[in-house]
Amino acid sequence: MAPVNLGTLALLLIGATALANAADDDTLHVLSWGGAYERAQQEALFTPFTESTGIPVEVHRYDGDLAPLRRAVAEGTVPWDVIDMTRSQAMAACDADLLEHLPADLPAPAPDGTPASRDFLPGAIGECALTHSVFATVVAYRRDAFPGQRPTHISDLFDQQRFPGPRALQRTPAVNLEWALLSYRVPREELYDLLSTRRGLHLALERLDSLDEIHWWEAGDTPPQLLADGEVVMASGYNGRFFDAMLDREIPIEILWDGQVQEFETWAVPRGASNADAARDFIRFATTSERLAELARRIPYGPARHSASLQVTTHPHSGQDMRLHIPTHPLNSAGAIEKDEQWYARTQARIDAYFEDWLASRP
Amino acid sequence: MDTLPVSHTAGRGPLAVIRFLGLVLLGALVGGVAALAAVGFVTIVLWLNEVLLISPRSRMMFDQRGMLVAATVAVPALGGLVVGLLHRHIPEGRPHSPADVIAAVQTRRGRLPGRAGGVSALSAMISLGAGASVGQYGPLVHLGATLGSLGARVLRMGRSDDNITIACGVAAAIATAFNAPLAGIVFAHEVVLRHYALRAFAPVAAAAIVGYVIAANVLERGALFHVADTAVPRPWEFALFVIIGGLGALVAGGYMRAILDVGRLAGRLPLAAPLRPALAGALLGVVALWVPDILGMGQETLRFATIAGAFGSGELLLVLVLKLAATALCLGMGFSGGVFSPALVIGTLFGALCGTLVGEFSDAPQATFVFYAVCGMVAVTAPVIGAPLTTLLIVFELTGSYALTTAALASVTLASPIAAQLFGRSLFDIQLLNRGLDLSAGRGQALLQTTPVAEQLTRDCVTLAPQTTVHAAIPALSEARHAEAYLVDARGCYHGCVTLPELEAAQQAGESHRAIVDFTETARPVLHPDSSLWDAMAQLGEMTGEALAVVDAERDDAFLGVVYEARIARAYLRHSDALRKEEHGTG
Repeated sequence: MAPVNLGTLALLLIGATALANAADDDTLHVLSWGGAYERAQQEALFTPFTESTGIPVEVHRYDGDLAPLRRAVAEGTVPWDVIDMTRSQAMAACDADLLEHLPADLPAPAPDGTPASRDFLPGAIGECALTHSVFATVVAYRRDAFPGQRPTHISDLFDQQRFPGPRALQRTPAVNLEWALLSYRVPREELYDLLSTRRGLHLALERLDSLDEIHWWEAGDTPPQLLADGEVVMASGYNGRFFDAMLDREIPIEILWDGQVQEFETWAVPRGASNADAARDFIRFATTSERLAELARRIPYGPARHSASLQVTTHPHSGQDMRLHIPTHPLNSAGAIEKDEQWYARTQARIDAYFEDWLASRP
Repeated sequence: MDTLPVSHTAGRGPLAVIRFLGLVLLGALVGGVAALAAVGFVTIVLWLNEVLLISPRSRMMFDQRGMLVAATVAVPALGGLVVGLLHRHIPEGRPHSPADVIAAVQTRRGRLPGRAGGVSALSAMISLGAGASVGQYGPLVHLGATLGSLGARVLRMGRSDDNITIACGVAAAIATAFNAPLAGIVFAHEVVLRHYALRAFAPVAAAAIVGYVIAANVLERGALFHVADTAVPRPWEFALFVIIGGLGALVAGGYMRAILDVGRLAGRLPLAAPLRPALAGALLGVVALWVPDILGMGQETLRFATIAGAFGSGELLLVLVLKLAATALCLGMGFSGGVFSPALVIGTLFGALCGTLVGEFSDAPQATFVFYAVCGMVAVTAPVIGAPLTTLLIVFELTGSYALTTAALASVTLASPIAAQLFGRSLFDIQLLNRGLDLSAGRGQALLQTTPVAEQLTRDCVTLAPQTTVHAAIPALSEARHAEAYLVDARGCYHGCVTLPELEAAQQAGESHRAIVDFTETARPVLHPDSSLWDAMAQLGEMTGEALAVVDAERDDAFLGVVYEARIARAYLRHSDALRKEEHGTG
């Protein structure tokens, strides 16, 4: 596919806006995250949708806070038709009855006829939300830090003999506990069963304790910066941020995909949406294999369906092979773990307290 | 008297081939049903563990401390009560287990009772679901065997085919539960069939493969162990593995003894049978408040025991002893469940203990720690279930590691024979011996021992009153064309046996007026109504004569009839022939 001409895109956008103003009740109001993510969605999803259906799309931004949705549903004035939300939030919103139920046959089958239920990742087709993309928390390392060898297993994060140098980790128990326990080579399927025991938590923290220098980060742009500045040689972080650092800033880093902790983005329709039919049409359109693959060419989020992951090719502007950068491509997904949201939902406070106690006890 | 049927040379025509293929197909079918039943069983147990706050995950996610403490004690106690009440619906008042399967196959009785099998499976499900320290594989094996036997009964098949379908159910259950088809096939041969026949192999293999395919597509579970790829034990460590095997046999013996002893003591408790498992459950729950590792099957404990440094050596010993005691308590007091999964945990803890001690006193690398854990595991489990090859194959199929399997082999080399010498071939064999079935001398003897000689009983013989004179007795015998007469008084009591040569000798000696009771043969043994064919064969060796009298000692030596020597020999030949056909036939 030819790269989208930016001029045409601008014209189209102007046209779309004009159209939206002309027939306001027709417009599809989408709530999404803004930034580079929204730009990619605009090119891969919104504009083609308007081209093929004539329905204009207007994008609103949010930062993931559910309170406005709660208020809007209570007041009966919901200003959006489709919301892009994380799966854990969608599950909470669904429980709170803030979302419309989605029909089971909403997602289209794969181009080769494989039914959607087998093509999507397990658990992707939810009651109220359809998972479309996967992003991951991964470890990245400086390519120049370990001459002669490379980390291949998540346990290498904790192996400071073979891979010496300081690490940067997110200041949360999530992800760190999982990786620490995985470093004992326990099977991924049993991770949360084992973390549910005193012994499992103890082992995990003991492993973290064995690292002699940890920089704790909180904002997502910190780890690429720490790597760029050479302050650390390995850091955890979001795969999208590392991608930007590698591509745009040409920092010599590499992603260790083993142990990636996957989280999910979904499409959902808020209860009382004025344009619910068009919203469902949009979700079906935006989750076809073709559109998902197009989205993944522009931002390194993995399509939640197998057929789309296989179709991903190069970045339309830079020509980068995007398969190397998306979490769900078979090259990267072998050692993936899925964060157990239910487990965290019920144990968050206790796990946080346990983690903070440990942090405080570290010299 | 009818002649022995000539044994046909087995299966040569096309019809025989088709019949055999039918049997293989039936094996696959039994395998599918048994595998689905196993999957259902495991799923329900996991679900119960979640809902009843037994699994660590559900306990962690449950936030109310007080309720959790109450549930930890109440759930196993109430579970025990339900299990105890359920067991009243089984004639023997106890759950059926793999021992019953072995007995049915070894004695060619077959025909596992469906009702007792169903109730046993249900009570095992509740036992496991409520957190009792028992295993799941025994119940799965018994459930598979019962389904197989049911299939043979529905199709009105013979005893040999019944045995084969039982083995199919067993193989499928193991193949499904461990995701290990070879182990399933070998287990069915090593533990249940105890012989190798091509005729049985094909259907059993078909069942195991179906079970494996179903398991691979439905049950998602991590492998029991993981080995870092590079670790290879040093040569001297193999010597340690052998020693661990020897010591593991003693742990296995202690484990089996504890289960049997608690069972014996429980019988003497002044407590109604249904309340015994309830008491055991309550005790288990109270101890689990401090050491939660002893609850349930202990998957998590098993996993941690393979990780170097997860337990201190004191902790390992404590958990090992408590797990052993908890399992003996649960099984002895009447919970329903297997002995294998707890043995896995106990053995792995034992191996981990050995590994930790070795690590403290030598420079053995931590990388081989898992080898010690696995050696301990096979050293304890192989003697308990009497299946060294199966345990080796489980290790091999689950890890795919040749190094680990070799280490396990070193360990099992001493473990199985030592335990067999000191305690018995397996816990099942010891249990059966306590119930009067001795399998130690093989299947032929067991078969004869369980065949009552009364089947061959006849009253077609000469009976005379003890006071009959020699003079009158001789023509009576001649007329009946018999050489022996049995003396029975007016009340039906037996007074011995006289032979024609003896009587004629008496007549020659001029004693024909005396009562024949004076000339009875003193050395002639008698049989009892419950004497087995085996007893009769043993006694034939010490007598010459036509027949043995069967006498009921409990009813004042009442005479029931006689069993002719020829018929004993014929019955013996017929059973041997059936066994030979079953064990050496090809199809």
